[in-house]
Amino acid sequence: MCASEPSDTTIAIQNVEVTGMAHRQQQMKTSQNSVQVGKDYLETNFSGSLMQTLQGIPGVKAMSIGSGLSKPTIRGLGFNRMAVTEDGVKHEGQQWGDDHGLEIDQFAVDRAEVVKGPAALLYGSDAIGGVLNLFTNHIPTEKLEGAVQLFGRTNNEQLGLSARIGGRYGRFFYRAHVTYSDYSDYRVPTDSIKYYSYWIRLKDGRLRNTAGRERDGSVMLGYAGYNFHTDVRISDSYSKSGFFANAHGLEVRLSGIDYDRSRRDIDLPYQWVNHLKVLSHSSWTDDRLSLELNLAYQNNLREELSEPVSHGYMPKPDNSLERRFNKHTASGQLQLRYELTDQHSLSAGVSSEYQHNRRSGWGFIIPDFETLSMGAYVFDRFAISEQLAVNAGVRYDHVRTSIHSYHDWFKTPVGADSVFKERSADLKRNFNSLTWSAGINWLTGDWVLKANVGKSFRVPIPKELGADGVNYHIFRYERGNSALDPEESYQMDMGISWSHKGWSVQLDPYVNYFPNYIYLNPTSSFVEGLQLYHYTQAKVLRFGFEAELSYELNRHWKGLLKGEYLYAEQMSGPKKGYALPFSTPWSADAEVTYSHTWLGRGFALLNFHLVGRQNAIVPPENPTDGYWTLNLSLGQHFDWKKVGEIKVALHADNLLNKRYYDHTSYYRLIDVPEPGRNFSLMVGLEF
Amino acid sequence: MKKFFNTSLMMALVSITTVCFTACSKNDDNKEDVDTKDTTKPVILTTGTEANVVNPINCQVYHRGDTIHFFYAFEDDTELGSFNLEVHDNSDHHSHSTESDDHEGGECRHDHEGEEHEHDASERHWVYNQSFEIPAGQKHYEARVDIPIPNDVAEGDYHFMIRLTDRAGWMQLKALAIVIEE
Repeated sequence: MCASEPSDTTIAIQNVEVTGMAHRQQQMKTSQNSVQVGKDYLETNFSGSLMQTLQGIPGVKAMSIGSGLSKPTIRGLGFNRMAVTEDGVKHEGQQWGDDHGLEIDQFAVDRAEVVKGPAALLYGSDAIGGVLNLFTNHIPTEKLEGAVQLFGRTNNEQLGLSARIGGRYGRFFYRAHVTYSDYSDYRVPTDSIKYYSYWIRLKDGRLRNTAGRERDGSVMLGYAGYNFHTDVRISDSYSKSGFFANAHGLEVRLSGIDYDRSRRDIDLPYQWVNHLKVLSHSSWTDDRLSLELNLAYQNNLREELSEPVSHGYMPKPDNSLERRFNKHTASGQLQLRYELTDQHSLSAGVSSEYQHNRRSGWGFIIPDFETLSMGAYVFDRFAISEQLAVNAGVRYDHVRTSIHSYHDWFKTPVGADSVFKERSADLKRNFNSLTWSAGINWLTGDWVLKANVGKSFRVPIPKELGADGVNYHIFRYERGNSALDPEESYQMDMGISWSHKGWSVQLDPYVNYFPNYIYLNPTSSFVEGLQLYHYTQAKVLRFGFEAELSYELNRHWKGLLKGEYLYAEQMSGPKKGYALPFSTPWSADAEVTYSHTWLGRGFALLNFHLVGRQNAIVPPENPTDGYWTLNLSLGQHFDWKKVGEIKVALHADNLLNKRYYDHTSYYRLIDVPEPGRNFSLMVGLEF
Repeated sequence: MKKFFNTSLMMALVSITTVCFTACSKNDDNKEDVDTKDTTKPVILTTGTEANVVNPINCQVYHRGDTIHFFYAFEDDTELGSFNLEVHDNSDHHSHSTESDDHEGGECRHDHEGEEHEHDASERHWVYNQSFEIPAGQKHYEARVDIPIPNDVAEGDYHFMIRLTDRAGWMQLKALAIVIEE
């Protein structure tokens, strides 16, 4: 039985080239369910954006808004309920916002790792659903190496260019990246959209003013010695994108702007965001001990601009700056790993993060705030044998949040008087949280079994504590709740995999219970003419699984079946019995891959994607019908002797141009169907 | 023998998955039967006996100093919540844009042929915004509100918005265009 090594035993996304013994060791490293995605996979499966590429992993979804932007969700949890890290440092943008993307240059990413399940021990607050780890710190091996990539998409006429260069001189190395892309309004397979009593007609099926552009750049310098390694990376990511002009603001308004003049321009309303990041990573390693220090500074600056209109008692503002957020984050982590004995591997760490956020503009949604968080953890892994390992850890966090009061810039009549209404009061809160986890890995024959149990948490964000105003994007009045407790989550999950002679099976079930899930509850009341949504806490039970079955017939043909299911129910509170918003419906995929070695190597993949109907809704959602799509991927490597390698990736989404709705899309609420047929092409030269 | 063992295990796993899928879907079906939770929006009636006398209707013309005798009937299958009436100015949004075509509640096109209701900067735009609780336990409610139009407001195009919720938090909206003349 041991003679034939099981090949892919993780949730094998095809072409992830981790096989044999190395893979088994990888599986034994952690009891958590994690999926490694290499550069090669990212490049040959390019489908428009990083998140869209990663969507092939069961349990991972891209929550999209428009064509250029999407946010990740893991097992149905997104926003502040999962963490995104870059080279080990948590990315700090305005994660709470549902209408902007990741602000990371996806072409600079060397590899990605998706951790499904809680990871509070390492990352503290937020890592409830899981973590998306992005790595951009590959060390060049040659004196000079680089790549140029050209990419495009047909649906939104996107064109982009990305280039990277790097080199190593002895122990010193450098890397640099630039990416630019530009896209026009995206197309949906419909000629009109119905929203409440409004009927919005689209010109050529295009969502008006959803065009955008992005430019990113980064430079990295480093020293890689035998024991000591240090590097510094400075990156900047800028993007500007329009909001769908017909459904932004307090109601469907008519504007003097001729949006149909050009599909490439960006008119009001639009947003721009700039994310500047300075990362420093240092480590010292010897046989038994390894020390790691990460220091980071991040600045996230974001503006939303729209045509000024008067609303209620707010007079017409004299400029278009609706909102501006300027967030500075400084963070540091020190980690230590020590091989206590041959069997015990002990890790410990401390981390701290400071956030400083200031707002401006005539629209109010979140108050000014500062947050300081500190955490410490200790974790032990005990290898009972080569086949059996257990681990356990505990972490303590202390978080202080200070929110500043905000008063309207205009007066509102109250009785006979007229006042600048207070929207948010001064508030100081301290949160403490003790989290823990334990897990087991067991390798037996062709089986790998993993099981975890753990507690994770999330500190309420200032929007949840102190919001008190109109959310202009979604036509509602949102009110925070200053009494919220830290959200806690208990999870039990398993990973069961079996592989034998080309067959491979993976099943990852989980159960997840929140005693106090923070939920934005739609009430029956009105405030200033808009429906009041109020933050409340409710017990929530979630369970589900991901499953995958693959068969490698020979070195050419491979078949794959995969699926996922998630159930969520509120067990208490005003929406007892209802689901959670944006609940992921069940889905299943059937795939056939043909790999070949003509002219280098390449593959063709045909995918049938089936999604079930979602009836589990909560106001103001509508049930969403099921659908299926047909998708095609082609990837090819050509060897170009003495120069390098040429990579070509062609990806076709929704080949039959089906009209369907995605229940987890932000635009679902305003009845915008998903994009129609789309071809993405990337051509890269690597040297 | 080993092969047989492994194949059996694999079959078992696949069966578990299948059973799980089936069980879950069954669970969903049962839920629908048993569920009593409200999953539908309330209704602002536009048909039936009451609907013949609703007021205001789209493109209705009023004069300064008039009273709008608001009358609409609301319905919900579980329990009504509250409603909100709101009037705001719509004069600065021209109707010659081609991007939006409201079949109701947008613009009263006939009013715009050749003339624009431009406001004098010195005139005050009328703002009206009031919410009303519907008594608890109601599935059907006839809402009557008298809304006096002040004498000093600017004439022109206005939007009249009716928003209705039920107890569960579902909302229904109706947007009407009205015109205020001298």
